[in-house]
Amino acid sequence: MKFRLPAETYDSEPPPILGSWRNMYLVVLGWLAFVIGVCYAFTRYFA
Amino acid sequence: MTTLDWIVMIATMIAIPGFGLWRGRGGKTTSHYLLAGKTMPWYAMGLSIMATQASAITFIATPGQAYVDGMRFVQFYFGLPIAMVLLSMTAVPIFHRAGVYTAYEYLERRFDAKTRALAGIVFLIQRGMAVGLALYAPAIVMTVIFGWPDRLTTLIIGIVCVLYTTMGGIPAVTWTDVLQMCIIFAGLILALITVISLMPHGVSFTDAVYLAGAVGKLNAVDTKLDWDNRYNLWSGLLGSTFLMLGYFGCDQSQVQRYLTGKSVAQSKLSIMFNAIAKVPMQFFILFVGAMVFVFYLFAQPPMLFQQTAMKTIATQPAYSSVQNKYNDAWSKRERAARALNAARQRDDKAALNASIADFRTAQREIEGARQSGIQLYEKSAHESGFNDTNYIFLTFVTRYFPAGVIGLVIAVIMNAAMSSSSGELNSLAAVSVMDLYRRLFRPDETDRHYLIVSRVCTAIWGTWAVVFAQYAKNLGSLVEAINQVGSYFYPVLLGVFILAFFFPRVRGSAAFWSMLTGEAVIVACSLFTHIAFLWYNVIGALAVVIAGWLFSIVAGEPPSHVLHVPGVSPRTDTGAV
Repeated sequence: MKFRLPAETYDSEPPPILGSWRNMYLVVLGWLAFVIGVCYAFTRYFA
Repeated sequence: MTTLDWIVMIATMIAIPGFGLWRGRGGKTTSHYLLAGKTMPWYAMGLSIMATQASAITFIATPGQAYVDGMRFVQFYFGLPIAMVLLSMTAVPIFHRAGVYTAYEYLERRFDAKTRALAGIVFLIQRGMAVGLALYAPAIVMTVIFGWPDRLTTLIIGIVCVLYTTMGGIPAVTWTDVLQMCIIFAGLILALITVISLMPHGVSFTDAVYLAGAVGKLNAVDTKLDWDNRYNLWSGLLGSTFLMLGYFGCDQSQVQRYLTGKSVAQSKLSIMFNAIAKVPMQFFILFVGAMVFVFYLFAQPPMLFQQTAMKTIATQPAYSSVQNKYNDAWSKRERAARALNAARQRDDKAALNASIADFRTAQREIEGARQSGIQLYEKSAHESGFNDTNYIFLTFVTRYFPAGVIGLVIAVIMNAAMSSSSGELNSLAAVSVMDLYRRLFRPDETDRHYLIVSRVCTAIWGTWAVVFAQYAKNLGSLVEAINQVGSYFYPVLLGVFILAFFFPRVRGSAAFWSMLTGEAVIVACSLFTHIAFLWYNVIGALAVVIAGWLFSIVAGEPPSHVLHVPGVSPRTDTGAV
């Protein structure tokens, strides 16, 4: 059985910044990694 | 509260809903009432989504959670940005372009009417309970400040909520949320500044952070994989992702927010805003709670933060000894905290290590003394599971915040709770009317008829929420309670939407029975295992997907047709992932 994204998920309108939604998602996930890293460092430093 | 507090509170409580009603004025159609006529900009939707999830409960309960349990609760939100990205790629464009009133309307197009109805009913059960808990939160405020009974205040706030929702609909609720979140952000910053400024002479901000860390209150990340531990990095990244997918992708109270967007891009931007802002905001709120803990190292907190409970135990013969034990434990902890701080400032390593050990021992002793007070209350009140986490932050605010600021904070909490509850009532009405009433009973009535029925449904759900709230008292921390309720139902909704989006072979009957199977699996996990509730989201969703897949194979059903949306040209060449 194949996974298939419905046709309605494809975009015609890009975001107002970063050029494409792919770039936007990468920035968001990079931000999450950074925040988790900061939280981890915070925990370790003050433990 | 002073006169100034009362003036600030009343003015704010009138002004904020008034602003929302003014911005949302003019609509007299069902589309305007339930979807704001699809006119909302991204920042309004984004702030409204945050306000709906955060509301008063976040402001009240989360700092208290950090006070008791440290900051590990922040891990619960680690899955949110991941979920937001996935939803932006899938659910947002699908729902938006399908032109539906509710998420469950899409399920009928993809599967059948009974699957839509079942999903709608699951949502109504889950959200109906959650809205009751959300109503209970501001009642805590009134109990702490005025000593009013929880049940009476819940009733009053519930009535106000119903009236407000029926007047404004989703546009008013959304614009109220916008203003609300701005004030909440300001209130949080003000709270942190106030608590730090209240630290005793000689205790700097870095000293306070060090003291909080010494007894594990800054435990923001726990990397140990433990299935019984509610909050660790792995349950946050995996379990929370599934929960957030279910909440933001399948819960009508959230879906309805981004269905109000001017365009798909605007709706996507609104949830990207949440993806970036939510975790730092939760971290900040928990940090405020940790600082409140440090403040109470030097100013004795009440043994129990719930005033009515303190009054109850004060009449007991054993009260004096328990209270004295608590007083002694607090004095010992204060001395240990000051000794630790002094050793740190002298940079005396040997004294520092000894002081840390003393401080931790004193912390355990005061926790034991507080537990004795809790047991005394439970014994005298014939109750079990007493929990006063939700009272901690408000007790601090009302005792130590300056005049005027208290009124503002209380108004923010009350408004946030009512606004959030109103939005939930609006979504409950939307599902009741669109997915059940109009679909199953009266499909051919006028728009005005459905608008009136929507308002009647709002009133009925408001009544139910108030009744449920009467029994919310002993559910523990409200944040956890709401998330636990969600973890029983969201996985089933998430599973069926995964089937709808990604498994074209699965058809109506297979989807319907897979939902029931998934719910049975979750109930079995709850009854027969000790697995932490966040994992129910993963297990339940996977159970639905696997069951749906197996049922479709057994039934030998052909692939369903791709939903056709006018004006959209599907790129089927890259459709497989």
